[in-house]
Amino acid sequence: MSALRRFLRTPEAVAGAILLAVLIAMALSASLLFPGDPQAIAGPALLPPFQDWSLPLGTDRLGRDVLAELFHGARTSLAVGLAAAAAALVVGAVVGTLAGFAGGLVDEVLMRITDAFQTVPSFLLALAFVSVVGPSLGVVAIALGTWTGPARVARAEVLSIRERDYVAGARVIGMHPLAIAFREVLPNALPPVLAMSSVIVAAAILTEAALSFLGLGDPNRVTWGGMISEGRAVLRTAPFLSIVPGIALVLTVLGVYLAGEGIVETTAVRRGLS
Amino acid sequence: MSGFTISRRTMLAGSAMLLASTAMPAPGWAQTPKKGGRLVLAADSEPRNLNPAIVASNGVFFISSKIVETLAEASFDGKDGLAPRLALSWEGAADGLSVTFKLRDGVKWHDGKPFTSADVAFSALQIWKPLQNLGRTVFKDLASVDTPDDLTAVFKFSKPTPFQLIRNALPALSSVVPKHIYEVGKIEDNPANNAPIGTGPFKFGEYKAGQYYRLTRNTDYWGKDEPYLDEIIYQVLPDRTSAASALEAEEIQLAAFSAVPLADLDRISKVPGLKVISKGYEGLTYQLVVEINHRRKELADVKVRQAIAHAIDKDFVVKTVFLGYAATATGPVPKNDPQFYTADVPTYAFDVAKANALLDEAGYKKGADGNRFSLKLLPAPYFNETKQFGDYLRQALAAIGIDAQLVNNDSAAHIKAVYTDHAFDLAVGPPVFRGDPAISTTILVQSGIPDSVPFSNQGGYKNDALDALISKASETLDATARTDLYKEFQKEVATDLPLINVAEWSFISVARDTVGNIANNPRWAVSNWADTYLES
Repeated sequence: MSALRRFLRTPEAVAGAILLAVLIAMALSASLLFPGDPQAIAGPALLPPFQDWSLPLGTDRLGRDVLAELFHGARTSLAVGLAAAAAALVVGAVVGTLAGFAGGLVDEVLMRITDAFQTVPSFLLALAFVSVVGPSLGVVAIALGTWTGPARVARAEVLSIRERDYVAGARVIGMHPLAIAFREVLPNALPPVLAMSSVIVAAAILTEAALSFLGLGDPNRVTWGGMISEGRAVLRTAPFLSIVPGIALVLTVLGVYLAGEGIVETTAVRRGLS
Repeated sequence: MSGFTISRRTMLAGSAMLLASTAMPAPGWAQTPKKGGRLVLAADSEPRNLNPAIVASNGVFFISSKIVETLAEASFDGKDGLAPRLALSWEGAADGLSVTFKLRDGVKWHDGKPFTSADVAFSALQIWKPLQNLGRTVFKDLASVDTPDDLTAVFKFSKPTPFQLIRNALPALSSVVPKHIYEVGKIEDNPANNAPIGTGPFKFGEYKAGQYYRLTRNTDYWGKDEPYLDEIIYQVLPDRTSAASALEAEEIQLAAFSAVPLADLDRISKVPGLKVISKGYEGLTYQLVVEINHRRKELADVKVRQAIAHAIDKDFVVKTVFLGYAATATGPVPKNDPQFYTADVPTYAFDVAKANALLDEAGYKKGADGNRFSLKLLPAPYFNETKQFGDYLRQALAAIGIDAQLVNNDSAAHIKAVYTDHAFDLAVGPPVFRGDPAISTTILVQSGIPDSVPFSNQGGYKNDALDALISKASETLDATARTDLYKEFQKEVATDLPLINVAEWSFISVARDTVGNIANNPRWAVSNWADTYLES
């Protein structure tokens, strides 16, 4: 309870949590509020916002409802962002734990692979991956460049944990090394890894938007990046088409980041006190 | 409105200049063009090979047509729609086995050597026929070129070849390059491909990659007092939105080939000092076409194809995707073609109920989720409009219970997917109509074309009646009979729908008011601009 109270006492964290809650509400209610295909043509083309209250945010170049696209886009952004971050965290934690716990040759091999991935800019990696295998595996493409951070943090944490007494104890009672690694060591190494999740989710949402902006997203789904990219052609005559999803993107990334920071700070304070 | 009046004025002035260029006195009422000045315009691509005799494409012509000239150019009011350039006259023999060209006297290459019939013979036999993308088909039966004197070239064909086809091919396919430059070494590797030498009103100056091409005045040009401009600078502006701002900032005076996005035209037409011109591209019509893979059993059924045709609201496409800068299509020949077009073909009005009924009749009932079947739809990535039409088509098909999944590719991957791998059900393509169906239109529906020939029938369509019609037209010498065959061809295509023609569009130029003699022929952007001038 005190953690929650402390969390609520930091205004940034509250702002972030509210933004995130709105976003999640948008994503969950998209199909209820705007049933059917959000890309269906709903009215005259290029209707400016606040003109017609059945289409409050106006329409794009083909006459599609911008508000409906925004809601359904929230779903894509959130789904891809969370899935990519989850994949990156799981892969990173497993690789980091194995490397740190096994040490020796295994450590060397796994860390050199991590280095190799880390030296290539993660966006270029995603770009190359998507242009080869197509946009259907966008989540994998984004995770490909982001798992290295969690892997390094997990390894560093494991290196210190594996020398602790309870690990030695587990060895003495004859637990299998893999069981020690994943049952005893990994859970204790997780908190600092999870602290990175907010940054990773925010980065994943941005990468997804950038891929869609470049036309490498799934064209059959609404994405904010895709909306911005389509609006770019009419930037001078209908700037709202790029600005509206742009603002949504900024608020989302900000919300995820602030909420994440708030959680990290709360837990850090608690650890510091205990 | 202002665009219209100005382009009419330039039209009149332009036709006067055409008369002047054929050595007749210019009528006094034409506005007198001023000499001198530098025209700066936007270029959105940077072709490396600038030899129009090898690469007959609009991107190359845009720059090289000012340097390298053709035998004849398209014209609004000339006989058979042509105006003389390097050739003064052309005559086809009754048996279709020869065409005689009389060439212009006193023409010099940019390096000072005289232009003769040997150059024409060399270009035709060594380049157009074996190397040129379009010439390979049109000149396939060209056996030899006789040069009885320096100013006469006689093309001899091994099989009867319709003179009408040769005539229609002249503006795009007959760029003449100098024999004395190209006879040394391999033609494809000749340095003149990157720094062309021609007879045109402008000489190649320099090219700075990513920055500009500079052309300079040819003081020895054959046209009296021409050219008017001292210099033409092609400023490389690959980003579409930057052309409009560059025009407003007076950094450039002209943006051709729709370098300014359609959505910006309305706004830019209200900017004082700028004019929007939709003329001057009549000979470069693009067609918006739904390509169909007939290997899919559903699409092999003509009823399904008719249903798709009925599901497309062509007026909506013209109004929304093209913002009115296009026309609805009825068949494989565009409406603005003066020779071949016929309106007497079956048409498919926008009628969702009828489309649904046709699909029910064909035996594809709606499933529980409202879908009849799924298709893969590949819109070509070359134009914003083809991509947007892809988005529209997906919605139009959803309305009749066909679930279309869009697949986006870059240019290279799109060409491979559609024309080599045939990994598509429907594709959206922008083929070009080049003034004669035999140049690049019939191959879109003809059978027996080898795999991986781009922009041809790769949908596995085979219709013996249509094939017979196409081959008969290719041997018919009489222009009227040949035209009639192509009218029948249009009817057959519109009936059986090997592909669906949706709209026809061309490009828009935006220019400052000071640029004179714009859009005075149907291929203006890719013509020689000898008569273009700047008022101040």
